[in-house]
Amino acid sequence: MGRVVLVIVGAMLAAGCLSSDPPSGSPEALRRAQSMVPADTRLAGLYAQSCKQCHTLADSGAPLTGDRTAWTPRWAKGVPTLLQSTVNGLGGMPAGGQCFGCSAADYEALIHFMADR
Amino acid sequence: MPAADTGAAVSRRSVLKGALLAGAAGAGGLATPGCRRDVEPPGPPVQDATGHLVWRNWSGLQHSYPVERASPDSEARVVEMLKTAPVPIRPVGAGHSFTALVPTAGTLVTLDGLTGLVGHDAATRQATFRAGTRLGDIGPALAAIGQEMPNLPDINKQSLGGALGTGTHGTGQGFKALHGDVVALRIATPKGVIVECDATRDAHIFHAARVGLGAFGIVTQVTLQNAALTRVRKRVEIRKADDVMTEWPTLVTQHRNVEFFILPFTGLAAVITVDETTEPLHPRGPDVDTEVLMDLKRLRDWTGFFPPLRRWVAQMALAGQHAEEAIDEGWKLLSNERPVRFNEMEYHLPFDAQMPALREVVATIERHRSDVFFPIEARVIAPDDAWLSPFHGRASGSIAVHAYYQDEHAFFFELIEPIFRRYDGRPHWGKLNSLKAADFATLYPRWADACAVRASLDPEGRMLNPYLRAVFGA
Repeated sequence: MGRVVLVIVGAMLAAGCLSSDPPSGSPEALRRAQSMVPADTRLAGLYAQSCKQCHTLADSGAPLTGDRTAWTPRWAKGVPTLLQSTVNGLGGMPAGGQCFGCSAADYEALIHFMADR
Repeated sequence: MPAADTGAAVSRRSVLKGALLAGAAGAGGLATPGCRRDVEPPGPPVQDATGHLVWRNWSGLQHSYPVERASPDSEARVVEMLKTAPVPIRPVGAGHSFTALVPTAGTLVTLDGLTGLVGHDAATRQATFRAGTRLGDIGPALAAIGQEMPNLPDINKQSLGGALGTGTHGTGQGFKALHGDVVALRIATPKGVIVECDATRDAHIFHAARVGLGAFGIVTQVTLQNAALTRVRKRVEIRKADDVMTEWPTLVTQHRNVEFFILPFTGLAAVITVDETTEPLHPRGPDVDTEVLMDLKRLRDWTGFFPPLRRWVAQMALAGQHAEEAIDEGWKLLSNERPVRFNEMEYHLPFDAQMPALREVVATIERHRSDVFFPIEARVIAPDDAWLSPFHGRASGSIAVHAYYQDEHAFFFELIEPIFRRYDGRPHWGKLNSLKAADFATLYPRWADACAVRASLDPEGRMLNPYLRAVFGA
C-alpha cells in the first residue's frame, strides 16, 4: 500500500500537481510570465528586446518565463548545455535568442531568471 | 492561420490527425513513420579561437564571430561607434535575413537600445519611431494613439530598421511595402554625420537609403505615414489551389489584404483575407498554424514515398473544412507566431507574371522534390519609388518557397530561381538568391544612382562585408 501511495505521489509530483507553481502553460502561468522583469535594469533592457518577445507568448513554443514546471527538464541539462543551446539555437529557439548584444554572462543570468532558479 | 472559430479550428486539427492515422493504416505498413528522423544540424563552435561568441541568423544558416558587439543607447553613441569601431560595421535587427547581410568579423551593432515612439501627429497620422523598435511593439504603440500600419508582414519580430533595410512587405493590392510609407529618415552615415532626409531634403539619400541593406549608414529614426486604427475580419479558408490561382487577379481587387499558401502535393491552398468591418470583436484563438504545419511534415514523412496517397490523405483531412475567422484590430491579426524555423527564397515578379511562374514552381516541386512540405506563399504589393525597392515602379506579386531548417535547400537555386529569373523577378533582399552586382544593375533602373550615393557616403566601405561587396560590386 505504501508503495502504491509513493508511486501516486511521485506521479503527482512529476505532473506538478503538488507544486504551488501554476500549471505549466496555464493562463496563470502566462500572466506570471508577462509580469516578471529582471531586477537588474540593464538585464531588464536586454530581456525586453529579446527573450520576452517569445517567452511570454502562449503560441511561441518557448517555455514561459517563470514556468518552473516547463523549465524543469531543461534545467536538468545543466546551465552550460542551456548556454550552448541559447548561443547556437535549438529547435524553434533561434541562435542567440534574439539578444545580439548579450555576453555569455548575460545569457546565463537570463537563463537563471527565466527558469526562476 | 488564426482560429477564432474554435470549433472549426479543433475540427481542422483533429481531422488532419485522424486522416494521417488513417492514411498510415491505409498504407498497410508501407509507410515507415520515423524513417525521416529529426536531426538538429550541427552548429558552429560557440566561440572562436580568440573567445568571441558566435552570431547566427534566425534560421542558423549564416554565422560569424564579431570581435566587437555594440549596443548604442543614444544617437551620439551610434555616431561615435561608426567613427571608431572595428570594420566591417554591420547592423543587425532580429537576424531574420537569410542572406549574408549581417555576418561580420568586425562590429555587430544592435539597436535594441534605441527603441520606442519619439512623437506623432494626430492630424496627419504620422508617427516617428527609433529604428530599433520591433514591429511587434509598434502595433500596440500606434493603437494607443489611434493609428495603425495596415501592411504589417507575416512575422513581427523584426526591428523597424532591419525590416525597412531589406524591403520587408505585407500584402494587399493597395498597400506598398513598409518603406513605401516612410516619409522621413534620420541616418548616421558611415562618416559619423547625422542626416535628416525626406523627399525634399537630401532626397537622393532618402531615395537610396529607404531600402538600404544597412549599407548607407545606420538609420536611427523613421517617420511613418500610418492609417487610422481599424477593426478587421480575418478569414482563413482551404480551397482548391487551381481555383485560387485562376481567381487571384480578382481576389486582389476584392480584399484589403489577401494572400494564399499553396500546400504542395495536396492540390489545396489556404487563402487568407483581411477586410475592414464594424462587427463585434471575435479575438483569434490559439495558434493552429504550427500544428497543421507539423502535420504536413508528418504527412510527408509517412506518405512522401507515394504522392497519390499523400494527396488523398490531405484532401480527406482538409478539403471542405469550414473557414476560420477572427475580428480584431489589424495589428493583432496580420502577423503570426512562426516558431518553426526555415530557410526561404522569395522573389517579386511583375504581377501579371506571378501566377504563370507560381504554376511552374508548384509543378517543378511536385515533380522533383517530394521532401518539400512547407507551404508556398503568394502575396501582392503596390509599386513605390525607392531606388533599391524590389517593387520599384511596378505592381508586384511575390512567391516565397520555404524549406524546413533541418532540410536541404539547394533546390531553391537549382530548380526555383531559374523560373523566377525567367519571369524578370527581383529577389527579396533578406532572402536567399544568387544574384550579384551585374544582375541587380539590369533589374533596377536607378541602380547606378544608388551605388553612387553609397560610395559617396562610405568611400572606404566601412559598412561592407564580403557579401555586400559582391552585391554592390565594390
